[in-house]
Amino acid sequence: MAARRSRGRGRTKAQREFVSEAEELLERMQSSLVDLEDQGASGQEVDPDLVNGLFRAAHSLKGLAGMFGHDAISSLAHHLEDVLDALRLGRATLGDEMVAVLRESVAEFGELLQGLGDADAEQAAEDKVGALVTRIEAACQGETPAEQGFDSLALDPALLRALTEYEEHRLRENLRRGRAILLVEATFEILSFDEGLAELGRAVREIGELISTLPSPGEAPESQIRFALLVASDVDADVLRGRLEFPRATVRRVSAAQASAAAPGPDPSERASTVALPGSAERSAVASSEPQRAGAAPDHAPVAGEGGEIESLRSISETVRVDIRKLDDLMNLVGELVIQRSAVESVARRLIADPGTARMGAELGKIFHSLDRKLREFQAGVLEVRMVPLRQVFEKLSRVARRLRRDLGKEVRLELNGADTELDKLIVEQLVDPLMHMVRNAFDHAIEDPEERAAAGKDLEGCIRLDAYQRGNHVVIEVIDDGRGIDPDQVRARARELGLISTDQQITDREAYDLLFSAGFSTRTEVTSTSGRGVGMDVVKANLTTFGGIVDLDSTIGRGTTITMTLPTTLAIIQALIVGAGKQSYAIPLTSVLETLVVEPHEIQRSDGRELLNLRGDALPLRRLAEEFRIEARPADSTREFVVVLGLGGSRLGLVVDRLLGQKDAVIKPIQGPVTDVPGIAGATELGDQNAVLVLDVTTFIEDVHRRREAA
Amino acid sequence: MRQPTSALPTDARWEDLARGAAIGSDRTEDAELLHELLAFEVGDTPYAVPIERVREILRMRPITPVPRVPEVVRGVISIRGEVVEVIDLRRRFRLPPVEPDRRTRIIVIHGFDGQVTGCMVDRVRQVLRVREDQIGPAAEADAETVLGLCQRGDEFVSMLDLDKVLEIEP
Repeated sequence: MAARRSRGRGRTKAQREFVSEAEELLERMQSSLVDLEDQGASGQEVDPDLVNGLFRAAHSLKGLAGMFGHDAISSLAHHLEDVLDALRLGRATLGDEMVAVLRESVAEFGELLQGLGDADAEQAAEDKVGALVTRIEAACQGETPAEQGFDSLALDPALLRALTEYEEHRLRENLRRGRAILLVEATFEILSFDEGLAELGRAVREIGELISTLPSPGEAPESQIRFALLVASDVDADVLRGRLEFPRATVRRVSAAQASAAAPGPDPSERASTVALPGSAERSAVASSEPQRAGAAPDHAPVAGEGGEIESLRSISETVRVDIRKLDDLMNLVGELVIQRSAVESVARRLIADPGTARMGAELGKIFHSLDRKLREFQAGVLEVRMVPLRQVFEKLSRVARRLRRDLGKEVRLELNGADTELDKLIVEQLVDPLMHMVRNAFDHAIEDPEERAAAGKDLEGCIRLDAYQRGNHVVIEVIDDGRGIDPDQVRARARELGLISTDQQITDREAYDLLFSAGFSTRTEVTSTSGRGVGMDVVKANLTTFGGIVDLDSTIGRGTTITMTLPTTLAIIQALIVGAGKQSYAIPLTSVLETLVVEPHEIQRSDGRELLNLRGDALPLRRLAEEFRIEARPADSTREFVVVLGLGGSRLGLVVDRLLGQKDAVIKPIQGPVTDVPGIAGATELGDQNAVLVLDVTTFIEDVHRRREAA
Repeated sequence: MRQPTSALPTDARWEDLARGAAIGSDRTEDAELLHELLAFEVGDTPYAVPIERVREILRMRPITPVPRVPEVVRGVISIRGEVVEVIDLRRRFRLPPVEPDRRTRIIVIHGFDGQVTGCMVDRVRQVLRVREDQIGPAAEADAETVLGLCQRGDEFVSMLDLDKVLEIEP
């Protein structure tokens, strides 16, 4: 135990977070399981809500473990979820073996959590999980009750078909319990049927379980409607009829008359039920004294270990787990406050501008400034809470790398730098798949076989390095391998083969590398299980683009390849530069703005029908916003032009606008409505004047320039 | 002219009603049997949509035009911070443009995925209560966007198939 504790202290922050979340789920499962066992042992009916709760906990644990790359936990939870689902819907029954497996699985979760980060323990655990999974599957298979019809019920088959799976299950369960199944039918006036039906429902529920309420197939006069209520009760039809005090209702028993009919109360005798299912409660009750029927259940895991270890987990964490949706709500609230703040500011300005109210305006201005300061702190605080380190993703990548090394038999070292770099949680989640893909690609395609490396005079062990670091308002992640590199000529040839470029089209190396991100492009002709073929880099790029990220690739033949991703740190609130074109205002995320220039018209040069600006010796391609959006520009000011220099990754573009209107905080909101994905528009925002302002999607503008340059 | 269709909802609908009533919820009211419709005008034609699909009705306000979208999308508005597209129903029904006036309204409609859409109409009339059997089939020519016609006095109100109306061709 002491050794385990010290291992616990050596955990990384991400692992601690994971453990704290997992332990909460585990505790919930533990207590539900104890209740479940109690109910089973005392022969009570098992509360369906308990099983539902266990099912949800297993489901959450599966997702959580999957996200952190703890495959053993995830796989065990996945199987547990399956069996609990079957149990929930009555496809499996809660026998002793089932209870044992559930208990041992929950105990195993405790073991797995304790052993995290210990390679030996993890290896040992994997074998145990394998064995448990086999038992879960067996428990599930072996106990699945035969497809039970309701032939014995005197019911219209149409009515039976209308039952949901859960209702069917409740019907079976009640039959199994030996309860009388009664059909209460009543006719109501169409205009007031809801009240009457609700009243009848309430009355029925006082006496039994209302399994389902269905429109009755029976004939009814035109202005009336007839309903059938399927009821399970310990009393028989005449008793129910007597107690209902509902003169318009008919009650008839649809299950075969039983001995239990005369004796209200649960009938413990199995013979009472015509469609008895393999009983769980009955068996649980006797199992403690009798050998198990299945006889297959091995000894339980050492009981001494279970409770104690889970106890010890309790004190590990000091974090509070918060639903990301709550953070979103908080963020939205901050966003609304930011809008309100702008409104206050504009009122203050108006007051100051009028000599009559200038003094009051100045006072309001002061209040505004202190409100502004506090709001900024608040905003930063909420943003900070959303930020998570990349470490979680990196750890997952290490795991993948370990597996790839084993599967591919390649000696490759994965170096991870900058695990503490923080990004918005939503962005981190979206990064997992692209990063995995890139690492797999590098393993599979980029790093040569040892012989080839030896021949090239390279270190036999290949290296894939991930560097993450903050640069200004962006986070940059580089994936660098020292593999064979990508030959741009090969890319050109393949692009011609695929018809992506024409046979006589000349493209630069950089343009060739950009083609690697086109849909359907692959230089490899064979398919491998590791990275597949043809899909990949285009998906990576699409994923990143959705949240304003950009990806670049550079390569040197024989030396290796570097993929650079530039990502925004947060999606929630942005600083925006407000510009004007024609009568409209637009917001540009400040993170993408390198600088703004005021130039004289003669400084703008033309080449191939495109405008360029000589910016400190480099040619900066220009685009006019009004032209791009086909809006009427303001009459050209012959003395000066405003240029916003946009930069993302290594690309730059000058956007010519009519006016520069200053800088504001903006909450980007998605546009709701039938027309989605407007090219060049990332969303919209409101700046305090009730008007929507469109937010430009800088990525599309810059890519557009690239594409046209390629096409030229 | 009145052509009664089936007076009763489908079985699935009854089932919903019954379930709702059985759990004592207030989802089921007379309104389920009587359709409540919001009637409005586009051009001189009266149209109606189920009241449940209407979230709110706004007076005309400045609409921010959106580039690179079909013309029927008039632009976007901000409703308390939410950004919502506004579809011009005049343009949708290929009617000649008119200047918005003080009777112009934007009806905010519930769409898919909890999203809403604004529909710009010439004027809003009233809420109609219509029995199912008062609704007849749509004229052939309108069948694409009109679900049915209901007679009110001496005129026919077209019940719009909102999902079709909001299908915008690029």
